[in-house]
Parts: sequence; C-alpha cells; structure tokens
Amino acid sequence: MGWFRTARANGSICSIVTEPSRLNDRQLVSRCLGGDPVAERALYDTHVERIYRLMHRMAGDADLAADFTQDTFIRAFDRLAQYRGESSLATWLHTIAVSVALNGMRKVKRLHGRVESVDGVEGSPHLVVPPTGFTGDLKARLHAAINSLSEKLRPVFVMHDIEGYTHEEIAGSLSIPVGTSKARLFDARARLRLALAAVAGDHIA
Amino acid sequence: MNDDQLEEVLADAARDYNAPGEVPRDAMWARIADARRQRTAIAAPIPSRRVWFWPSAGIAAALLIGTGIVIGRRMERSTAPRTAVAASRDTTTRRDSSLPTVARRETTTTPKDSTIVAVHDPVPNNPGPDKQGPDKTLAYQLVVLQHLAGTEAMITSFRAAARNGETDAHVGKWARDLLGTTRLLEASPAADDPVMKRLLEDLELVIVQIVQYANRGTNDPEELDLIEQSIKKRGVIAKLRSTLPARDGLAGTRG
Repeated sequence: MGWFRTARANGSICSIVTEPSRLNDRQLVSRCLGGDPVAERALYDTHVERIYRLMHRMAGDADLAADFTQDTFIRAFDRLAQYRGESSLATWLHTIAVSVALNGMRKVKRLHGRVESVDGVEGSPHLVVPPTGFTGDLKARLHAAINSLSEKLRPVFVMHDIEGYTHEEIAGSLSIPVGTSKARLFDARARLRLALAAVAGDHIA
Repeated sequence: MNDDQLEEVLADAARDYNAPGEVPRDAMWARIADARRQRTAIAAPIPSRRVWFWPSAGIAAALLIGTGIVIGRRMERSTAPRTAVAASRDTTTRRDSSLPTVARRETTTTPKDSTIVAVHDPVPNNPGPDKQGPDKTLAYQLVVLQHLAGTEAMITSFRAAARNGETDAHVGKWARDLLGTTRLLEASPAADDPVMKRLLEDLELVIVQIVQYANRGTNDPEELDLIEQSIKKRGVIAKLRSTLPARDGLAGTRG
C-alpha cells in the first residue's frame, strides 16, 4: 500500500504532534493510516498484552501464541482502513485474533491428524493431551475438561472465566449476541461441573 | 466439598489453565514489521492494478481534462489558455532539458492525443523506435501536470469547505477519482522521476485522508487537523505550486 511505503520514507513525520497514547481509537487509526510508525507501535503496545494472553490460553503453546498474535497484527494493519469505529479498536482486534486462533488451531490439528467437528457440541481435542491417571488432581481434570470443550464453548469460557472479558466484549469479538455468550458460558460451566463430578462427589450434582 | 468451595477451586484451577509467561513484545513486533516489509515489497507490482489500469486510465485522463477546464483558477492568471493541453496543441520543438521535474520538458506532441495514445496503447503510433520512449514518457508527464492541477484545486476546495464546517459530497467523489488516478500514475513511467514519485506518494496519503474524512460525513476538527498537518508537514501545496508554474511557463513559450 502506498501510504505504508510513504510511512517508511517519511519516518515519524506526524508523530510529534500528540503522544499516540493519548489518542482515541479513531485518531490512532488515522495516524497509522497516515504512515506514522510511532502510532503503529503505540497501537501494538496498547493491545498486544491482552491478545497474546488470550492466544496463549487458547493455544496452550508459547510459539503458537506468538504466531497467532503476530498474524493478528499483520492482518489488522493490512485492514486498518476498513476499521470504521463502530466498535472499539480492542473489540475489532479481538475479532481478528479469535478468528486467527481458531483457524490456526484447526490447521495445527489437521497437521496432527486429528479429526474434529468444528460445530460439534461434544468436545474437540486440544493440542495438549489431557493427562490421564490424575483422577485425584482437580486441576489436571479441570484443564483436561476445558480442553475437551467445543470450539464454541471454550473461547467463551476462557475469555470470561479466565481472562475476565465481559459478555459484551466476548459478543463483539465472536460476532454473537450477548445472550448467546451467556448461554455458552452456562453450558461450558455445566460441562466442567459434570466432568469434575467424579472428583468432587455428590456435592456437585 | 460444597458448591462455593467447588467454585473457588474451579476459579483457582482455571487461572493456571495455559497460563501465559512473559509477552515477547519486541520479538513479535520485529517479526510483524519484517513481514509487513516483505508484503509491501511483494505487493508493489500488483497484477490486479494492471488489470484495471488501461480502462481506468482512459477514464481518468478524460476526467482530468474535464476537471482541468473546470478548475480554471490557474488559467485565470494568463490571458491565453495556459493548460498543458491547450498550450501544447501548438507545434513546437521538442527539447528535453534532462532536469528531474516533468514540467521542464517541451514537446511537439498534442497532449490530448498523446495522452490517449499513452494510456490505451503502450506503443505510440507515429514515432520511430528511438522516439517512442520519450514520447510515451512525455504523455504521462502531461497527464501528471493536469492531475496535479486538479489535485491542488480539490485540496483547496476541501480546505475551504472544511474550514466552514461543511463536508461536500462532491469533493469526496472528486477526491476518490483523484486517488485512483494518483495510484495509476504511481505505477506509470511518470513516477520514474524520484521527485515526482515522492510527490505522488504524498498526494496519495493526503487524498486518502480526505476520502476517509468525506466518507464519514462528520466534521471532526481533530481529524481535519490531522489532514492539515499532513498537508503542511509534507509541503504538498508548496510542492504542487513549485511544479505547476513551470507548466504555465511552458505554455507561455508556445507562441
């Protein structure tokens, strides 16, 4: 894109007027589109931590998480002109990130020769092999149970119960209604409870 | 274990689920920047741009001639018609000065015709093999001159309207047309001149901002300020004006 070439040619011409960290989303995007490398880095710095954490939670692997995060920002910069400010920049970035992560996981799983149903309610095997012989270990059982959640349920559970996203943020990132996000979280929790029933005994039921 | 205890255990256990370590912030940024550099290098000669180059260039050339007439602000400075098109209809001696800016060249070619030849036919009709290159380049340069005049007028119109808090839809459409032509010219021999290439890149950036501003249809003073900053910091108007008077001078030598 021409303006990116211009950006490199002109360096940080327009970065000196206002600190990028003080800009709102649209101003930051406008500066990035104008080829301001400081604004581009500011956009990255603002959002990379949260996106990387989510990618790591979903992938369970540092290298994969880094790959997904990089791919997310590369795509985001490529498509930045399409950002209309209708949602927050964070939500827009997370939409890309979740899509990148789910597609990436599918590819990796295909490479590993694992067949799964994307829409299946019954769980999809995670990259990390669930530990066996740990019936007494609640954590291990829980992690295995989260891994076995479907692609619809696991992102919602990870985002809400582990990373602390709101249902509004999840709905925006996954392009689903807020009610659907709540229903999926309820479903995911129910499945985890069931999976832990053997450990926790009758109190769970 | 009761439900509350279970919830507590669940929450505690969940926190450890695929717990991320330190974020490799700089390493990832380096790879992102590298990937974007490579993409840009690969994307520079975009095949799809070539696909729509010829029909679009024809439309753009016609549009430029029309807008050049409409604009007229510069033409008012002279008593005779002084656009590159009108002026170069008179036959004069071709003389390339070998100076970097396109405006310093003179030609015997009729610009309107040569523009169409250059846009629709990569090989000009009349000249011999030794003259094809310069004629073709010249035709592009004349298109560039007309384009620059149109762009200056559009930017001036936009700034005037924006200062009054108006978002003119006509200017938005005008800017979109000019943006397409700018990109076409960036991929044309006209951009062989590094000075012109830089100017076209600067114009592209400013026009993109104006198009986006016009598309939003809101009068956001901060965004307007960003556009103003781009125009000023890149010296767009100054560069345009330093190029265009040479065109007028060129016209003035015609008779």
